[in-house]
Amino acid sequence: MNNLMSLDPMTLALFLPLFGAMAAFIAPRAASVIGLATVLANLGAVGWLAFEIRAAAELITPLGGWAPPLGIALRADGLSVAMLALTGAVGLLVSFSALDALRDARQRQYFWPLWLLLLTGLNGVYLGTDIFNLYVMIEVIALAAVGLTVLSGTREAVRAGLEYMYASILGALLFLMGVGFVYLQLGRLDFAGLIAATPSAALSAALALMVVGLLLKTALFPLHFWLPAAHANATAPASALLSGLVVKAALYIFLRLSTYMPLPDEILVTLLGALGAGALLWGSVQALRAERLKLLVAWSTVAQIGLIFIAFARAGQVGLVESWKAAALLILAHGIAKSAMFLAAGRIKDEVGHDIIRDLDRSAIRPTLAQFTFALAAISLIGLPPSLGFIGKWSLMEGALQAGYWHWVVATMVGTLLSVAYFSRVFAGFLRFDRMQGALAEHKGWALADLAPLTLALAAISLGLMAAPILSFIELGYPFGAMP
Amino acid sequence: MTDPLILFDLLLGVSVVALAVAVMGARDLFAAIVLFVIFGLLSALAWARLSAPDVALAEAAIGTGVTGALLLKTLHHLRYVTGQLDQFAAPGMTPAEPVPMGVIAANAAFCGLITLGLAVAYLGAPQGGPGFDALVAEAMPQSGVEHPVTAVLLNFRAYDTLMEVVVLLAAVIAVWQIERGLSDAPSPDLGQVWQGFARLALPAIVVVGTYLLWKGSEAPGGAFQGGAVLAAVGLLLLLSRAYVPRPAHRGAARLLFVLGTGAFAAVALLVTGGGRVAFQYPPDQAKTLILLIEGLVTISIAVTLAALFHGREPVALPSRRDHHDT
Repeated sequence: MNNLMSLDPMTLALFLPLFGAMAAFIAPRAASVIGLATVLANLGAVGWLAFEIRAAAELITPLGGWAPPLGIALRADGLSVAMLALTGAVGLLVSFSALDALRDARQRQYFWPLWLLLLTGLNGVYLGTDIFNLYVMIEVIALAAVGLTVLSGTREAVRAGLEYMYASILGALLFLMGVGFVYLQLGRLDFAGLIAATPSAALSAALALMVVGLLLKTALFPLHFWLPAAHANATAPASALLSGLVVKAALYIFLRLSTYMPLPDEILVTLLGALGAGALLWGSVQALRAERLKLLVAWSTVAQIGLIFIAFARAGQVGLVESWKAAALLILAHGIAKSAMFLAAGRIKDEVGHDIIRDLDRSAIRPTLAQFTFALAAISLIGLPPSLGFIGKWSLMEGALQAGYWHWVVATMVGTLLSVAYFSRVFAGFLRFDRMQGALAEHKGWALADLAPLTLALAAISLGLMAAPILSFIELGYPFGAMP
Repeated sequence: MTDPLILFDLLLGVSVVALAVAVMGARDLFAAIVLFVIFGLLSALAWARLSAPDVALAEAAIGTGVTGALLLKTLHHLRYVTGQLDQFAAPGMTPAEPVPMGVIAANAAFCGLITLGLAVAYLGAPQGGPGFDALVAEAMPQSGVEHPVTAVLLNFRAYDTLMEVVVLLAAVIAVWQIERGLSDAPSPDLGQVWQGFARLALPAIVVVGTYLLWKGSEAPGGAFQGGAVLAAVGLLLLLSRAYVPRPAHRGAARLLFVLGTGAFAAVALLVTGGGRVAFQYPPDQAKTLILLIEGLVTISIAVTLAALFHGREPVALPSRRDHHDT
């Protein structure tokens, strides 16, 4: 408790977006300026935090000066800073593209407060150490995310948003019920209490409730039913935030919980991996059948979430000491590549005027830079070297092979082939010119709005070259490894 | 050792479950809502019997009062857009289809299974420790207030409470931005009796709401309960059309929505410095700061709940509405 700094970067990362959201809501005309400034400042705070974590490995701030379990502490380690950095950097680039993509005044006015509240919730999850606090945070995220889903104002978006809200609230309630059971058993809610607890049937029941709630929120097959419509019908920047960042919050909580409160049986780890394989297959098949570009991208998210769960289960319960790193790499890779892809898909839809995959090659308008961006993002999602997605898949398969779990390697291979197949449907539309109606239109190959998605896609590819420093960074503070 | 009220408790428990079943079985939505309100009131009573008066007050004010009003408002709107109020149905509206029996049976079986599993796990486990009681009792002298629940909500775990107020703010922003494209259902004509009732009830509600807030520092009550009761003032004003939201009021409404969150977050940040972290109130000023936060949060909660009841950003209404519903 001594020598506490009066303002630490963790507190800043919570309060900056919160105040930004309120300011953007009160002053709708200045919302864009306030929003951009806030997101920039947030990234600055995260950078400061990363700098401190490199030196100290972990930071803890007991809010209100009350130590857990009575109070709530904020804690940052390598993994949580990596998630904060993903959120801050992707968020900044999506914010830039929102300046161009949001056309009508209502959307521009409401995007910023909702997005900044979402950012508050996401940052809160990554700094949280208390399961009741995490419940409150996922409620903040859920309401802001539903608001962003229906921002486009179409009938389909409102319907999808309503379904998303039902699924989200059900997930949060299941989680809360689990939290209640934990408190009943342990009399405390902080992570340290969970780690110290002796396993019991009641704790397993509580964990089951929390995990099912989180799976619903992160849309693991077969609980993915709400995701495709919600992500496909939102405006492009909102889709990028929902698919790139929002589903990762529940995934992150799942990763923490399942390590602090080990699943009671090896079969459950295998079951989660099997559900992941199911998601990979079902999401890919649906992506092959999708008629619209944004729906294809949304189904690919379902498949990729499955892949992350395969990474989690790749070497069983004992292998979790290492497996979480493969899952974390895939989370980072998917967050960056998928937001690039949704923004690029939005740009293509804006320029061409529709996003029907079958008719993309009929269009005389070819937004080439956006198409290039889409292809780069697809390369990372498919997992070609040297992208970050490749490194993630590589470490997944390496771990599975070492543990002798061949079935996970087979599932990953099949999923990879299917992803090549469904992305090729889109590339064919980009590259064929023989069905084009009329002459190729005046060159509108690129616009300033392509810059943000292109930067994200290039990052998804080139960060693969920095995999070693990223891996050693997320291990700082021993998120899971050295815990008793 | 037997509690003389054991019979009452048993009856209460059975009634709560029976009402829950009745709500789900009710074919008529209006009946379902009324049953839900009764269910909420009996649950509040159950919370009181479980020695959780704070939860009981919250259940009665928010879970039952405000939620019931929101449900009735939604039902009115649904009847309007589906053409049940001597009105043309809104374009594209299709009547809701009943849920197939198979789905109901599957859901019931699934929920039953989960409940059974939880019951087995719960009954088979050793009961846990005392929870926060000892820690709270030890820290109470530095909290600045005398009521443990208030100390937990606004001091020890104030961060959670701030974020719960943020949830409410996110809700009202999300509701305001939904593009409806439809005009509102006209409010029903409430007649003379209603005006008289409003005149009598308004002052009483204001007193009760403020009392709940004020008592919060030493006895059950506080911002959420007081705010929900005060929201009833807004509901009465809206229903009796003593107040009609207009586009010009948007700015003021936005300020009132963020007032509680803003003040709470500002206090949490401003107390830092000199070795203090966020939310660490100086002990001698804790009570003042907590009361200040609670007061402003109450105002925001009341205004936000009333705005949620209104259900949309105030828009310029076509003038034909005025003689349509009188």
